[in-house]
Amino acid sequence: MARRTVTQKERTLRTVSPVVAGVLSLIPGLGQIVIGVWERGLIFLGSMASLVGLIIWRVSVIAYRQATWAERIPVAFRRQPLLYVLVIAIIGLWALIILDAVNTARRKKTRETLAYIIIGLVFFLLGWQIVEIDMVKLFTELPDAFPIITKIAWPWPSAFVRDEEIYQGMELLYTDCEDKVIPDPLPVIDGQPYLEVSPRCGVLSGYEVEGTMLTVEGHGFRPGQEVVMWWADPVGKEFRVRYGGEFITVTPDANGDFSAAFPMPNLLIPPSAGEGPHEHKLLARQTTSVGGLKPSEGLLLAIEKMVETIFLGMMATLFGIVFAIPVSFLAAHNLMAGSPLTLAIYYITRFVLNIIRSIEPIIWAIVATLWVGLGPFAGVIALLVHSIAALGKLYSEAIESIDPGPIEAVHATGANWIQTIVYAVVPQVIPPFVSFTIYRWDINVRMSTIIGAVGGGGIGFLLMQWIRLTDYRSAGIAVWFIAITVAILDFVSAKIRERYV
Amino acid sequence: MLIVENLTKIYPDGTKALDNVSFTVEDGEFLIVIGLSGSGKSTLLRCINRLVDPTAGRIVWNGKDVTAAAGQELRLIRREIGMIFQHFNLVRRLSVEKNVLTGRLGYTKPSLALFGRFPPETRDLARQAMARVGIAELAQKRADELSGGQQQRVGIARALMQEPNMILADEPVSALDPVLAHNILQHLERLNQEGMTILCSLHYLDLVQRYASRVIGLREGRVVYRGTREEIRRMTDEEFQNIYGEEAVRIETGRSISGG
Ligand SMILES: Nc1ncnc2c1ncn2[C@@H]1O[C@H](COP(=O)(O)OP(=O)(O)OP(=O)(O)O)[C@@H](O)[C@H]1O
Ligand SMILES: [Mg+2]
Repeated sequence: MARRTVTQKERTLRTVSPVVAGVLSLIPGLGQIVIGVWERGLIFLGSMASLVGLIIWRVSVIAYRQATWAERIPVAFRRQPLLYVLVIAIIGLWALIILDAVNTARRKKTRETLAYIIIGLVFFLLGWQIVEIDMVKLFTELPDAFPIITKIAWPWPSAFVRDEEIYQGMELLYTDCEDKVIPDPLPVIDGQPYLEVSPRCGVLSGYEVEGTMLTVEGHGFRPGQEVVMWWADPVGKEFRVRYGGEFITVTPDANGDFSAAFPMPNLLIPPSAGEGPHEHKLLARQTTSVGGLKPSEGLLLAIEKMVETIFLGMMATLFGIVFAIPVSFLAAHNLMAGSPLTLAIYYITRFVLNIIRSIEPIIWAIVATLWVGLGPFAGVIALLVHSIAALGKLYSEAIESIDPGPIEAVHATGANWIQTIVYAVVPQVIPPFVSFTIYRWDINVRMSTIIGAVGGGGIGFLLMQWIRLTDYRSAGIAVWFIAITVAILDFVSAKIRERYV
Repeated sequence: MLIVENLTKIYPDGTKALDNVSFTVEDGEFLIVIGLSGSGKSTLLRCINRLVDPTAGRIVWNGKDVTAAAGQELRLIRREIGMIFQHFNLVRRLSVEKNVLTGRLGYTKPSLALFGRFPPETRDLARQAMARVGIAELAQKRADELSGGQQQRVGIARALMQEPNMILADEPVSALDPVLAHNILQHLERLNQEGMTILCSLHYLDLVQRYASRVIGLREGRVVYRGTREEIRRMTDEEFQNIYGEEAVRIETGRSISGG
């Protein structure tokens, strides 16, 4: 290859002394350009310039805290030893380019292929550095990610739940009471569990400070069944009490008594709670599942939103068809080539369709949420805009590819143009129209799962919410629904299209 | 009677497809147009029913000036002239019956035909037309499921629906094998014997000799040969080559008078 290039170009090559060529190529590629193999020279020049530029940029990114280059360079190279490899490779490349210039000048065989390979490799290594590929992280972070991944991969345990019956004892506790008098303990009601807590006034845990240690005694609980400690803050928000990272649970003895000790939890008292003393509730709960399994709230919500998503895709597709059909006629060359005016309309339509199509639906969704607010309607608008452009183009191509033969034949029978369209054009475009439409519906439902994430309604919205609330099991249910729906749709759309082609 | 006078067609790209062509066709003739590929045969036939607009010249059909006709008048002329095509030009996805029925569109009320409806008498007519060319039992099949010969017979049935006085056939058998070619041409011959005027372009010498009542030869858009049935039957290969150039060769059962 290299030799062929030289012999082919031989006639047009300029005679330059090898030394001059080498010196010229100190600016990479200049020697080659002067000799006359200017494509190769430009490639070398362009590659070297961009590689050096990229490395300088990376050094400034890696050592962004350092003010001067003298400080930045050593820091960057220490942090990312890969830079050494890159610099060595670039110097080697430079030498190779100079050598190539000398050899070209001497009309000898050159090693340009090697230079191209090195250029490719350096770009690859730079890419690796730029996108921060971190193989080690993949493995070190796995233990943390694993429980989440398993929850998402198999969320079904929380898809079905039983009703819970709560059996609980309660006591009122106080903070910020200083020397103020606090109410008496709650009265004991016969046949109900109760708590004895001391002290009843104390200090909450804080950052690296343990709060007042509470001694809790419970009486009248169900023997042998686990009791979970809950805390309700002054505004009534409930949460489970943790101590040393663990939820506090105790099991009552045969008499239904237990005792436990833990510090007051760490929580922020909202300003709306006013001056102290603040009243908290300690709740010792035994919960029993009663009745049969029933779908969890998450599951029901996921189903609801999935249906919403499917309809979202469907509405966008339906409206898309309505608008795309007329547009497609304007964008069909065989119909519009008649006069300069129609041809101009054709080019404008094509141009606009191409622009709309090149903007991703997710961007349209962001625009639409700004316009009509969050929700499925914004999603419909986003998908609709994109669908019109995509379908308009596909339809117009279907129209362009129809067989003129039958049109001519029907025309020749004395039919008028409406009849010709109904009998010769429509039957020809229906199969591709159906096929493209189903395909679009398929795409729209897929897209609507994503579009939800930016506020376009549907299951994507729910999924993002659940992930933010770290409810990975519910998120898992949403992911499963999306996967199942898309798979079914894929199958159905393939079947329908098969029948129509 | 069809009168073609000084017909010239120049396509927008400057191709002169027909150059001052004149001839007459009496009612009941089986006129065959021969000529090399590109000599203007299709252009000539398409000018007669104005699928192609002539650049100059005049076509008079039974006293009506085809070249001057427009709109409804032109559609009425078209429906009296059937046309069949080399590639059949059926609507592939429609049934045979629907394809045949489209031949009647020139007669039906547009509002009715819009929804694919045809009056019962039109459907009867379609059954008769299909029976005449032997495809009655294929009525409900899709057009693209048929063989080439069957498709061309659908094409003939479609033309018959127009109850035409003349049929234009543009290389009706070029896409068929020799046996089927005879079959199709025999259908046309029978129609001809019943009084139909037929204008047909053909490639194979022996088919021309077998069916033509008269022949005209085109070369680069000009009429270079006119012959009666007897003259064409006496013609030798050499004479054909003389008219149609060196490309003329024998092909299997037929003697080709063009390269194609
Ligand atoms: N729509 C068109 N636009 C421009 N030139 C055309 C067009 N149709 C035909 N021609 C040209 O006109 C000339 C005659 O074409 P025509 O189709 O009439 O020939 P033909 O005798 O039917 O050929 P064949 O035997 O190949 O069908 C050819 O040179 C052809 O290239
Ligand atoms: Mg032709």
